[in-house]
Amino acid sequence: MDFALKFLSILFVAALASIAGCDGSAPVEEPNEMVLHHVLYTKIAGLDPANISDIYSRIVASQIFETLYDYHFLKRPYELVPLLAKGMPQISEDRLVYTIIIKKGVYFQSDACFPGGKARELKAQDFVYSFKRIANIKTLSPSWACLDERILGLDEFRQYTKSCAGAEDVDYSRRVEGLQTPDDHTLVIKLTKPWPQFIYSALADTAFAPVAEEAVAYYGQDIISHPVGTGPFRLNVWRRGSYVELVRNPTFRVEPYPCEGESGDAEAGYLDDAGKPIPFADRVVWTVIEEYQPAWLLFLGGKVDAGVIPKDSFDEVVTAGGELTSAMKDRNIHLKTFSDPSTYWLGFNMADDILGKNKPLRRAISCAIDRERFIELFFNNRHLVAHGVIPPMMSSYNPEIEEKGHARYDPQKAEELLAEAVKVRGGKLPVLKIAMPGAGTWFRQYGQFLKRSLNAVGLEVEVQYMDRPTFQEKLRAGSVEMFASGASAAIPDAQEFLSLFYGKYRAGGPNAFNYSNPEFDRLYEKAQVLPDGPERRELYQEMELIVLEDCPAAFLNHRVAYVLRHDWYKNYKPHAFAFGLSKYRRIDLAKRAAYRELVKKIE
Amino acid sequence: MSERKQIIETRRPPKGRSLWKDAAGRLRRRKPAMVCLGVVIAYFLLAGSIHVGEFFDLKVGPTLWAEQVGRSYAPPSSKNVLGTDIFGQSVLRKTLYGAKISITVALCASLISIAIGVPLGAVAGYFRGFVDEVIVWLYSTLSSVPYILLILAFAVVLRDKTLFGYKVTGITAVYLAIGLTSWVGICRLVRGEIIKHKDREYVMAAVSYGCSRRRIIFRHLMPNVLHIVIIDFSLRFVAFVHAEVILSFLGLGESDRPSWGAMINDARMELSRGVWWQMAAATAAVFFFSLALNIFGDALRDSLDPKLRIQ
Repeated sequence: MDFALKFLSILFVAALASIAGCDGSAPVEEPNEMVLHHVLYTKIAGLDPANISDIYSRIVASQIFETLYDYHFLKRPYELVPLLAKGMPQISEDRLVYTIIIKKGVYFQSDACFPGGKARELKAQDFVYSFKRIANIKTLSPSWACLDERILGLDEFRQYTKSCAGAEDVDYSRRVEGLQTPDDHTLVIKLTKPWPQFIYSALADTAFAPVAEEAVAYYGQDIISHPVGTGPFRLNVWRRGSYVELVRNPTFRVEPYPCEGESGDAEAGYLDDAGKPIPFADRVVWTVIEEYQPAWLLFLGGKVDAGVIPKDSFDEVVTAGGELTSAMKDRNIHLKTFSDPSTYWLGFNMADDILGKNKPLRRAISCAIDRERFIELFFNNRHLVAHGVIPPMMSSYNPEIEEKGHARYDPQKAEELLAEAVKVRGGKLPVLKIAMPGAGTWFRQYGQFLKRSLNAVGLEVEVQYMDRPTFQEKLRAGSVEMFASGASAAIPDAQEFLSLFYGKYRAGGPNAFNYSNPEFDRLYEKAQVLPDGPERRELYQEMELIVLEDCPAAFLNHRVAYVLRHDWYKNYKPHAFAFGLSKYRRIDLAKRAAYRELVKKIE
Repeated sequence: MSERKQIIETRRPPKGRSLWKDAAGRLRRRKPAMVCLGVVIAYFLLAGSIHVGEFFDLKVGPTLWAEQVGRSYAPPSSKNVLGTDIFGQSVLRKTLYGAKISITVALCASLISIAIGVPLGAVAGYFRGFVDEVIVWLYSTLSSVPYILLILAFAVVLRDKTLFGYKVTGITAVYLAIGLTSWVGICRLVRGEIIKHKDREYVMAAVSYGCSRRRIIFRHLMPNVLHIVIIDFSLRFVAFVHAEVILSFLGLGESDRPSWGAMINDARMELSRGVWWQMAAATAAVFFFSLALNIFGDALRDSLDPKLRIQ
């Protein structure tokens, strides 16, 4: 009996111990282990490059997968440099054929999907496979829109995949004229028409990173949680909705830290590690925290290396002069600000009977919004007023755009325009509806701000709060009247913003405004094939003025990012377009340990 | 003559006190309960006056809550007693206006739950058998789902839907959600009371007189279980106010007009910048109303309890 009791007790203790081991907490950090601690403000959807559509998945995937080209970490203006390619592509005179030499000695991480679990060398064929996989209609890749009618023969391949029963039935050995591999390390891509943004939009985008065919065959649908890349890190733990952990990839080649940057980088310490092999970190950890305030407290507690400032804590961190407060300086926290390639607006549905046919009404709404007050209330005066659609950091930004006065707050003019709008309408204006892509506090206050602004000039509006998928669905269906939205550029070119107004992209496409202007479309098509230069920049500015004149949106603000880092977090130079930057980051372990000790004492 | 009058007087049964008169007398003797009743009445009058003010488009006090009275986040001062919010709106006016939303929701939800729960409970208790089994199964199933989750689910489903040609907006979705999910308690109580009463002499007498079942239930039985409904109403009212605050806090309530839950939600993030007045005002409003309702509800229950009647 005693024996049975003892046996049961031991069993019970063992069960408890095993349950305790499954508590979901992070692995213990060794004292000399270099671990980067980051926050994700929303959970990631998946780590399959072909199916990445959200920024947070892209951030994590960019540490695992690599692209042919990437942005130089330090140089500004932003410059592309070879990553998996040996050099910049050789481009034919007609700008239709790109010949790219792939680096030798690049290996996929060791994985069970390869024979014997050993790492396999990257070949040019892996790029062809990855392009075809995006074209495969069964993959349902959101990145296809980027390749549509761009690569010779790829659209036909897509047509062929429609006839296949399943994704596994697609014959990837089928020839595509525009994707050739003369040898294992040469990739030749033939375009249907010149595409000046090709390197930025496709060859430097994680969505087009090479994926091993063996991995897709081995993991099938589970490929989203089994990324097999060539990058400096590999996935170790992914607890959906709460935690992601990457560890150093042992088969990663020797890559040096950049030896040159822009002026001031050496003084800022960004070149202290020049020439040293990367990555520095042993592990990269992301904790999913959807609220800004807890993330902020983790940052102050030294549990996170860098962070953003919540709206309501801004005064605690930054003085009226834009400097860090002494409390933050005492903690050895550093502030970095940088212009973000983004524009936010209150959009009008031009297909709507009331708004689409009434330009005075749209202009009245634009005049009724006090953008400076909006930025003061919601962004602590951090953002810039959007006088047009192109953000100031773009080379095609028109410095004289402010003088055009399209973003001027003028309630009196708004009232006059409203009176004109009533005449155009031929009667009283109905209650207009604004769709908001969220129902949280921020969106509710944003909605109240818009409502107050428009009510003040005599326009009745109803704000409809909804979740983001519903909002997107309504935008696609064109069933909204006005909508609060915005866009952030993925490449340093204004074409992404202007494409939102291209007539062919209406009806479910990116043109949620349902805007159409034949002159704009003509200029857009002309600019689309032009290389970067004064001619294209002038066309962009001309197109922007057409948009402003037609007023399919009231442009509100451009984001300026304020990021904070602890003193121990080295090589933290913010970048507007690159994501795979964890390989450059380094931690001063002694400083971090000292800070954490200090926090413990304070607490 | 006077002797005859005296005989008649002595033969007349002693004048009794009704349940309601007795309860009112005992309630009046409880001073804290009377103070709380005063507070509750004040809240109700406030809500009613805002309704009237809005109906006649009177621009006074809380109906002007949207007016900018100062700068953003101005602290409490002699000009703005409870300070201002992000848009420079008076927090005092918003707090007062919040009473209208909470009381309207709680009142409508109570009426809906009574309209469903009382007849169902009465029918189940009186008829028993199959009807009783169906109703008991229905409320047992409903009560097996956690209360707040059930309300949330109803609020999400009902929101922005059109029912019988009427669009369900924020506040309507809230009281419909609460009302349609909160009738179980009152249904159980009424069913139990009816089962207890249905075999009593006065019911037997009504049956022997050939009264219809409807008449027996609603004219004879219901008046005798009405005190249960009133006690339940007073105690549940406060729970409905809380449910409205929770739903508004979660962004499922009123979005365009001030409510206590939405104010607390806004103030949650503002606390870190030292703006405490909106949180303090909304929580104080909820606290005093809940406290007053609870104390008065308890006193009302004690007063209406026949076991505590003084002979």
